[in-house]
Amino acid sequence: MPDAQQAGIIKAIRCADRAGANLIIDTWAAGHSYEAAVMDLLTPTLESFGELWASAGGESSLAQGYVASKIAEDVLAKVLEERRKTNADVPLSKGAVVVGNVQDDYHPLGRKMISAFLRFSGWEVHDLGVDVSPEEFLDKAESLGARVIGASAMMYSTARNIGNLREEIDRRGFTGRIQLAVGGAVFKLRPELVAEFGGDGTAASALSASPLFDDLWNRSLAFETEKAKAETP
Amino acid sequence: MNGLERVLATVAGRPHDRPAFLLNAGLAGAKLTGVPLARYFTDASAYADGQCAVRETFEPDLILSPFLFTALGEAFGSTSVIRGNSAPNLARPAAASAEEALRLPWPDLESQPRLLYLRDCVRELAGRLQGEAALVGVLASSVDLPVLILGMEPWLDALLFDRRNAQALMERCGEFIANLANALLEDGANIIALSANFNSPTVVTEEVIRSLTRPSLEASFREIRGPLILHHGGCRLAPHLKSYLGLPNVAGWVVDARDSLAEARSTLGADPVLLGNLEGPALDTRSPEAIHAECQRILADRAEDPHFILATSQADIPYDTPLENIAAIRQAVSELRAVAP
Repeated sequence: MPDAQQAGIIKAIRCADRAGANLIIDTWAAGHSYEAAVMDLLTPTLESFGELWASAGGESSLAQGYVASKIAEDVLAKVLEERRKTNADVPLSKGAVVVGNVQDDYHPLGRKMISAFLRFSGWEVHDLGVDVSPEEFLDKAESLGARVIGASAMMYSTARNIGNLREEIDRRGFTGRIQLAVGGAVFKLRPELVAEFGGDGTAASALSASPLFDDLWNRSLAFETEKAKAETP
Repeated sequence: MNGLERVLATVAGRPHDRPAFLLNAGLAGAKLTGVPLARYFTDASAYADGQCAVRETFEPDLILSPFLFTALGEAFGSTSVIRGNSAPNLARPAAASAEEALRLPWPDLESQPRLLYLRDCVRELAGRLQGEAALVGVLASSVDLPVLILGMEPWLDALLFDRRNAQALMERCGEFIANLANALLEDGANIIALSANFNSPTVVTEEVIRSLTRPSLEASFREIRGPLILHHGGCRLAPHLKSYLGLPNVAGWVVDARDSLAEARSTLGADPVLLGNLEGPALDTRSPEAIHAECQRILADRAEDPHFILATSQADIPYDTPLENIAAIRQAVSELRAVAP
């Protein structure tokens, strides 16, 4: 385990030193590969940083989370370039997921950070942008066979529209099959709103999004397994 | 005592007949007068009618100019939308980067329509209130105004990775906001309230605060010729007050509803005015009895604090809030006796 490098990257994130973090990763990758840097260096580092972020009650700076997401994007780009040069096979993705800001919400930063971390973790992310209607979310999820929708809202007034998305999931008969992850500043202020607006789960920080999507994906699979059992004569 | 006298007594620490209170009740004004929000947030007379209705119905001691940061963005070319009964939301920023924002034409305080709306609201309210309540001009500070021009991500990106342009933009924003604040004071505002989220350690790094945002606030606040209230703007403030202490002309502090008033007072010292800490956006979800009890608890906690003003924090009180919920705040305040230092 490259403890010194991990500590160096966390220190760089804390200081918002994107270039410094990239230098550590580049140096590591020169002796290994960017693929290995993702698996053995950056993934555990971001997990550690995510735990630190969550344990700080979401009060670590937005800048630190933003820099971490940029570093993840930087390294992911280098992995893709490495694969292109070596004609390596693209690993299977964890699955297709859909993310977007709910209708009337125009605050994209949190959603973009989550998308970066999800892609870094191997999800095939379909980002629909801001002000996404429930119908657009469901049309895309249905066409992809996505089991998780991630809906972001910053304020209480727009978070209420997540209730409309919940209704659309249920109306189309996808209850349990499509899981609804919700996030945004308002859910940190008022966690009870996750259930009130029909969310199936939320994450303490953008860095915790991928474990949440893992959990929701598995819940969707378990739901279908149970359903199939119940329907078997 | 009238509202302005009560507020001035609170600032000075002189005896006053009851605690002063403030409502972020922009939307409630539109509801009371039945004016569509699209007109309310573009017609200064309609806004003034609404706030006078708020004053007559609930008797708050401070009245706010529009808490409408989108109007500042629109003055630079950003666009906003109003959906349902919510306050306008910024939809499309005017620029994609700090560098691009610096090339935008700078709006004229005397002729730009959205700035004139804000100024006319203050002029109308000053004429109608006639000193019966303190009039607060609400603005974003030099470190938050760029968000309204270019959006949050490009602004954060500039502060972290493009410091030369970030600093240049804050210099221009600082001068602009100081000029606009002084114009509002000349128009009749008694106090200017500003947010400064991008000086919070919950948003940027300590190094950015030290080298960029705090110096910008110092330079801009120094040029404003009136008392300032620093509004928490959505971030917790009490644990991070040291990033703001000592800024010029700041006489009052609105803390977040999650903050401890005792912690804030301990850090601020005895004299500055402390405002909070009812959660305004949650008032529609609670009963009048619960709100009344919460106000009583807060006021009892601050009974020995002659510089305290009960206030709703965070964003506007939602439009659909039953009026009796807001009246419960007024009721709790009116039940208290004189405040003596």
